[in-house]
Amino acid sequence: MVIHYKCPNCGADMAFDSDSGHLSCPSCGHEENIETFPEQNIERKFDEGEAKEYHCENCGAIILTEAETTATHCSFCGAPVVLADRLTGDLAPAKVIPFTVSKDEAVAAFKKWTRGGRLTPRGFMSGDRIKKMTGMYVPFWLYDIEGEAHIQAIGTQVRTYQSGDTVYTETNFYDVFREIDLSYLKVPADASEKMDDVLMDKLEPYDYSELKDFRMPYLAGFLAEKYDFDDEQLFSRVESKIVPYIDAYISTTISGYSSVSYTNKQIDAQKKRVYYTLFPVWMVYYDFDNKEHTFAMNGQTGKVVGKPPISAGKVALWFTGIATSSFVAMKAIAFAVGGVLW
Amino acid sequence: MRDFLSKLARVPMLILLLFFIGGLSVSAQAGDLIHDEAGLLSAGEAQELEALAERYGAEQGVDFLFLTTDSTGGQSIEGYMGDFFDRRADSTGREDAVLLTIDIGGREVYLAGFGTAERTLDSERVDLVLDRIIPEMRSGDYAGAFEETIVTSSEYMEYRPGVNPESIFLKTWFHLAVALLLAGIVVGSMLYNAGGRVTTTPGTYVDRDHTRVRSHSDRFRNKTVTRRKIPKNKDGGGFGGGGGMTGGGRSFSGGGRSF
Repeated sequence: MVIHYKCPNCGADMAFDSDSGHLSCPSCGHEENIETFPEQNIERKFDEGEAKEYHCENCGAIILTEAETTATHCSFCGAPVVLADRLTGDLAPAKVIPFTVSKDEAVAAFKKWTRGGRLTPRGFMSGDRIKKMTGMYVPFWLYDIEGEAHIQAIGTQVRTYQSGDTVYTETNFYDVFREIDLSYLKVPADASEKMDDVLMDKLEPYDYSELKDFRMPYLAGFLAEKYDFDDEQLFSRVESKIVPYIDAYISTTISGYSSVSYTNKQIDAQKKRVYYTLFPVWMVYYDFDNKEHTFAMNGQTGKVVGKPPISAGKVALWFTGIATSSFVAMKAIAFAVGGVLW
Repeated sequence: MRDFLSKLARVPMLILLLFFIGGLSVSAQAGDLIHDEAGLLSAGEAQELEALAERYGAEQGVDFLFLTTDSTGGQSIEGYMGDFFDRRADSTGREDAVLLTIDIGGREVYLAGFGTAERTLDSERVDLVLDRIIPEMRSGDYAGAFEETIVTSSEYMEYRPGVNPESIFLKTWFHLAVALLLAGIVVGSMLYNAGGRVTTTPGTYVDRDHTRVRSHSDRFRNKTVTRRKIPKNKDGGGFGGGGGMTGGGRSFSGGGRSF
């Protein structure tokens, strides 16, 4: 099933506008609220029995997509289309964070980011070789996690005091027990095989106050994918993500000791709820030195991640600069205090 | 820095001064700095040390004196060297001096600073110099010990009074190491963060309403006590630390050791 959102004003294909949060018509500028978009303007076409081939309603061309794609553009006429059967049933997302960074803003934010790169080569810093920017909704699973932790530890308190010419070191040992209720809400893990996990983790955090119930029109004009891994497959990844958080929390509950050694640490975490959610990501493909560099930008906050090229000269310059200036500073202090330079 | 400049400005003046009075004082003092009554030095060593003491003494504005004896005649080594210095100062009028005394009979050594050297070579610094010369004293290299005393004391006297000249914070290798380490850490973290930083914290996804300690206990279990004696003076036995007053009423910084 292919969906077009037709403008009630002029009949052109509407796309989601990240500035207004509405559907917007590129030819007449008309805007429509997503919640109240008139049903008769949603043009659906069913393709019986075939899963891979869709036809554009506008021009009749075959829409070429990968199996995971759920929203794209017609490669022939450019009209935004949403592939609805890949977004229904088990594949229906529960939530979505719509794009709030528009393409122009994304380009500007990316250029600003390249200028701030202190170790990147000069040519890279102009940020003017963006080959392609793609706005994409990346599938994530959000987990509500509930659990408990049972902790046994030995804490020590050390006190030293002097009496006569003897120094006494007194060490008190304590048995420490903690029972902790744990609850974490909406911990994300990206469910797309294509996306680099490390890159996606660095894009966090997203602002959940703008988390919306999913509606298909949000996808019009962007690319979107469906998940490759289900919530069961990804749970271990989310677990490995929150264990350091849990450890950090546990250590805050045990205070007042000079050292703590854990004798037993039992953490039991289960998922309470999962939400299939689409997060907005701008993918930036950038040419530099005959190589393509890929960056990702949080489509909500504008945070950029990805490995920029590094200039060895600049690294050396920063290193010598910092080393020299701190050396001179320390020498100056030593001279001021000691009265001798060498 | 200003000190440094004024020191620099003083150099030509010093040379000029040396020209005028240098010849005079050298002739008046010839053989006056080394009083090797116990005969621990050869004639050649004595001459060399005399020259060295003069050169460094002129730089620091003090006399580097070397006194050896077979016996202090029942006196303490401090008293003996005090009397010697009183006699010398009374006759020459030179009050600023660093005096290394060796009593080869009692196998004791005493280093003292008089006049300006009482401040520039205070008792803490004396102790540091003694640390350095004790190995030479033990091996019988008395010329080496005096040479070391002159060179090290001069070096220490360059430092502002009260500062520990052996402090690690004044060492160039330490400055270099810290500078390189700092630059390494800063540039390393810049490199590490070039691809974007992880900005989620343990608090990002926590549900504060339902994450809590349900029960807790901290029970005292046992205690251990270890004792450590504070070590007394350094080996070789130190004495007379902190200096004192000569019979003639001259105060000095100083310290002594047996060897």
